[in-house]
Amino acid sequence: MCPRADHRSVDPAAAAMLKISDRDGFETAWSRLEAQQPQCGYGQLGTCCRNCSMGPCRIDPLEEGPRRGVCGANADTMVARNLARMAAAGSSAHSDHGRKVALLLKEVASGRNTDYTIINPDKLMVVAGRLGIATAGRETLAVANDVADVAIGCFGAQGEETIPFVLGYMPKKRLELLKNLEVTLSELTGARIGLLPRGIDREVVDIMHRTHFGCDADPLTLIAQTLRCSFGDGWGGSLIATECQDILFGSPTVRTIKANLGVLDAEMVNVLVHGHEPVLSEKVVEWARSPEMTAAAKAVGAKGVNVAGLCCTGNEILMRQGVNVAGNLLHSELAIMTGAVEAMVVDVQCIFPSLADLSSCFHTRFITTSEQTNIPGSLHIQFEEHEANAIARRIIQTAIDAYPNRNAAKVYIPQETEEAMVGFTVEQVVGALGGKLDPLVEVIANGTIKGVVGIVGCNNAKVQQDFFHLSLTRELIKRDILVLGTGCWAIAAAKAGLMNLGAQQLAGPGLKAVCTQLCIPPVLHMGSCVDCSRMLVLTGALADHLGVDTSALPVVGSAPEWTTEKAVAIGSYFIGSGLPVHLWPVPPVLGSPVVTKILTESAKDLLGGYFFVEEDPEATADRMEAIIMEKRAGLGL
Amino acid sequence: MKKIFVDYRKCVACKSCETACAVAHHPNGSLFGLVGDIRTQVNVRVLGVEHEAFPVSCRHCDPAACLTACPAGAIARDAASGAVVQNPEKCQACAMCAMVCPFDAISFKHTHRALPGREVAYKCDLCHQRLAQGHAPACVQACHSGALVFKVSEPQREKRAVASLKVYLLGEGGEPPLFALHRELRRKTFARRRMGKS
Repeated sequence: MCPRADHRSVDPAAAAMLKISDRDGFETAWSRLEAQQPQCGYGQLGTCCRNCSMGPCRIDPLEEGPRRGVCGANADTMVARNLARMAAAGSSAHSDHGRKVALLLKEVASGRNTDYTIINPDKLMVVAGRLGIATAGRETLAVANDVADVAIGCFGAQGEETIPFVLGYMPKKRLELLKNLEVTLSELTGARIGLLPRGIDREVVDIMHRTHFGCDADPLTLIAQTLRCSFGDGWGGSLIATECQDILFGSPTVRTIKANLGVLDAEMVNVLVHGHEPVLSEKVVEWARSPEMTAAAKAVGAKGVNVAGLCCTGNEILMRQGVNVAGNLLHSELAIMTGAVEAMVVDVQCIFPSLADLSSCFHTRFITTSEQTNIPGSLHIQFEEHEANAIARRIIQTAIDAYPNRNAAKVYIPQETEEAMVGFTVEQVVGALGGKLDPLVEVIANGTIKGVVGIVGCNNAKVQQDFFHLSLTRELIKRDILVLGTGCWAIAAAKAGLMNLGAQQLAGPGLKAVCTQLCIPPVLHMGSCVDCSRMLVLTGALADHLGVDTSALPVVGSAPEWTTEKAVAIGSYFIGSGLPVHLWPVPPVLGSPVVTKILTESAKDLLGGYFFVEEDPEATADRMEAIIMEKRAGLGL
Repeated sequence: MKKIFVDYRKCVACKSCETACAVAHHPNGSLFGLVGDIRTQVNVRVLGVEHEAFPVSCRHCDPAACLTACPAGAIARDAASGAVVQNPEKCQACAMCAMVCPFDAISFKHTHRALPGREVAYKCDLCHQRLAQGHAPACVQACHSGALVFKVSEPQREKRAVASLKVYLLGEGGEPPLFALHRELRRKTFARRRMGKS
């Protein structure tokens, strides 16, 4: 590990906390990464198969050892199977999040849950319209019930038809292209090859089945199913999560929040919410702000209860409730080390199990709440939607009870914060444009803005924290390329001040003029990682508006510090939706020349979208600009 | 004499050599027997140096500095294999051997072969007992990628020299392109992490 803290993170608040962690000997993701060196090359290359008990089998990349596993699977089969399983896991995580929100919508619509209500009936009607559900003269709850039924139906559908959310949201030309591609691939191979998802759960199960011992060995069909499953995430599960959350908790609106560890308040009871699902954290925020809890906090000598977010739970509540965000993934351990956190409340996904041990070094209560995320050493308070108020109240009370145990000698809160304008949903972007897409199309057409890049998060301890996110973003806006995105990237940009109006000064002249006119930053926060669906919807709206396929648009995607299997699913549905996607670090596919070629070259011919890998931010920006200029030329711009 | 040759550029860092060595030197003789056993002895270690991995173990030097230095006479040469072999029952754990070893290949621990309650020096024994039965050293047998080979020195040296010259003179051979890319990307990742440029 590099002894210099600022070499591990470009964030000064992180560097300050890492000095403390080095001094006091706390483990972090960085130190554990170092302890894991050297990491196994078979895993990095994707050529290790553990799918049966005749294995594990490995194909060495140097062609010295055996070329096939015990069953006869070669490197191409192994790599494709492993990639498919990553996408299945990633799609499952996103989609299961969506399922819970859809089920909650059903409970609310049927009156069985009264702890929640429908905050945004207007959005409900829009979603219903997309799905072909009648709205005229109907009660809100009746429409909500139908929307919930359709959403829930998307998960368990057994027919061969494409799920309604895909049909209702995917741009027309892309839908046609994928239908035609299914036919072409089937004619070429003689096999039935599907790309459009039949059921969100089914496509995951399909992958687990076809990657089971003795099934699919063809990299092409394995990758086709990887795309199909990922479409079930992007245009299915994730989209359902976004839309149903907007209905239940309100559509985000543009607002200003503060980002970074400085949002922790030494005089307040600090509660961090971390994970991905806003269902519980919405209630935590509501109760933290209640007079009852404020009074209870004052009774123990604090000024009140201060809720701050981490990761995508943070993104969800900052967009809807204006709650400040303490940081992204690699901040989760650092936040506890401030010694000023009374409780860290987690739901699902991206929660380091190390947080339990680390919390035990402080007075911090580490509270798990999901049946799917149990961590030894945590305090588990099981969340139940129908008792949401009581549970949220108990959680806040637990935090307040911990406050008197805070050791002032251990408290250090870095003062860094930046203001960020957030909440740029599709609706808000269109709203900022005066209610229609024409102004955006116009500035792209006349070259004021060259194109758009969508970036999605994660931090990865292998990459200096936020370095790639920020360097790439700065480089792109300088070149008059609008940057928008989600997840831990969005928090990185917020922490660095790229989402406030001052950042307009960093943009090229064209982008700067547009942003000044609209009074928006050149870097737009679109939400949490399930809200990558918002990027799809915006791309689709642009494509339909222009009457072209998405692959014709000067739009590129990127996951520059990716870590999770969810990112594999996101990357896959982006390329399947016609967008070139940059990745760093390199995904575990280099063990197979065939899979590498399909993902980076053949996909371009078949889908318009494809992956490329680049380790340098400036070179990445060069490549993206070249792609954007190529697409502009294609559109005759 | 046959020696274990290391070609670090072929090391994939899978640590199969470590596991095979541990099993071969464990009284239970099975992977599942040694899990959680702190007395397990591993005589080869894949060390990470930036993006490179190198399986480090005793080179069985001749003459061997450790053998000469040991005041207890605990280190001797196996006549049949030429292996430098350490006797844990004579070892006084004075660490003279470790101090003079040019490859830092000698460790200390309370192994299964040590007398009760004693820490002793331990290192690679070239699997000389396996060799006597006609087997290769466990680590070599376990290596899939050709990073470890057990060969007679001179022909092996010549073979490697010819292979290297083919790359240099004829541009032939070399690493498969995607593996070369993998190594290059690993190198860049590490370089950025060290230099603070990501």
